[in-house]
Amino acid sequence: MSRPITFDDFQPGATMGEHLETYGTELASRWQHIFGAQPADGAGGAAEAASIAVVMMMRAYLGVVAPRPPGNVHAGQRFSLQAVPRAGEAIRTVVSCVSKELRRERRYVELRTQGSGEGGRAIYDGRLTLIWAA
Amino acid sequence: MNHALDSATLTVTPEAIRAYAELTDDFNPIHLDAQFAAGTAMGGVIAHGTMSVCLLWQALFHSFGNDAFEALELDIRFVKPVRIGETLTAGGEAEAPGTWRVWVRGDDGADRLNGTVRLNTSNAEGA
Repeated sequence: MSRPITFDDFQPGATMGEHLETYGTELASRWQHIFGAQPADGAGGAAEAASIAVVMMMRAYLGVVAPRPPGNVHAGQRFSLQAVPRAGEAIRTVVSCVSKELRRERRYVELRTQGSGEGGRAIYDGRLTLIWAA
Repeated sequence: MNHALDSATLTVTPEAIRAYAELTDDFNPIHLDAQFAAGTAMGGVIAHGTMSVCLLWQALFHSFGNDAFEALELDIRFVKPVRIGETLTAGGEAEAPGTWRVWVRGDDGADRLNGTVRLNTSNAEGA
C-alpha cells in the first residue's frame, strides 16, 4: 500500500484523475434508506438525483485522492448543478487541485470536481474546501 | 410568493452515518470511530458534511418540487459539527430574486452549515 497523500503532494492546477460511476439502483436505494423512499421525500425524483450528483462528487474525490491520511475535515462547499443525472446514467468526473494554503496552522486544500454525463452533457461543478490532516 | 423555504428534517443516528458512509464510500474514521474522533480537533464523531447538503436539497424539493433542480448554484460553509443524536432542520429565507439564504440547524438552533443557493428557475423567485 502506498503512503497517504499529504499536503505537500498537492499541486495547484494539476488534474489528479478521473472517476466513472453509474447512477444505479444500489445508490438510489441507499439514498432512500436514509432520506426516505416516498415520492414526497424526493425519491425517484430530482431531490434524489441532485443528491446523487453530490454523492458522485464525493465518490470521485475519495476514489481519486487516495490513500488519504485519517481525519481530514470538509470545511466548505461550492456546487453548481447544471443538470440532474438520469437513472442508469454513467457520470465521468475529473478531479483537479485548485489551490492549497496554510492558514492559522491549518492545511487548506481546494479541489475541483467536474461531472459530465452521457454525450458529455454537463452535470455538476463542485469545489470542496478541505482541512488536510497531514 | 413565499419568503421562507419549507423545511426538511433528519435525525442523525449512528446507523444513518454508517449508511451515508456506504452511500458515498467515505469511511473517514472521524465519522465512524469514536476513539479516533475523540483525539482530533473535532473532539468526537461528526456526521458527513454533505449529508446536510442532501437534506437541504429536500427542503428545496419541498418548496419548489423538481423545478428547483433545473440548475442551481450552492455556496456554503460547514460552520459547526453535526453530532450523533441531533435532529437537523434544513431551511432558508429569500435574500434576493432567485437567491436564498440557506442553513441547516441543530436542536439548539445554531447553524451547522449556512450560505446561499441561487435557483435558475422561474418558479423559485423568492423575495
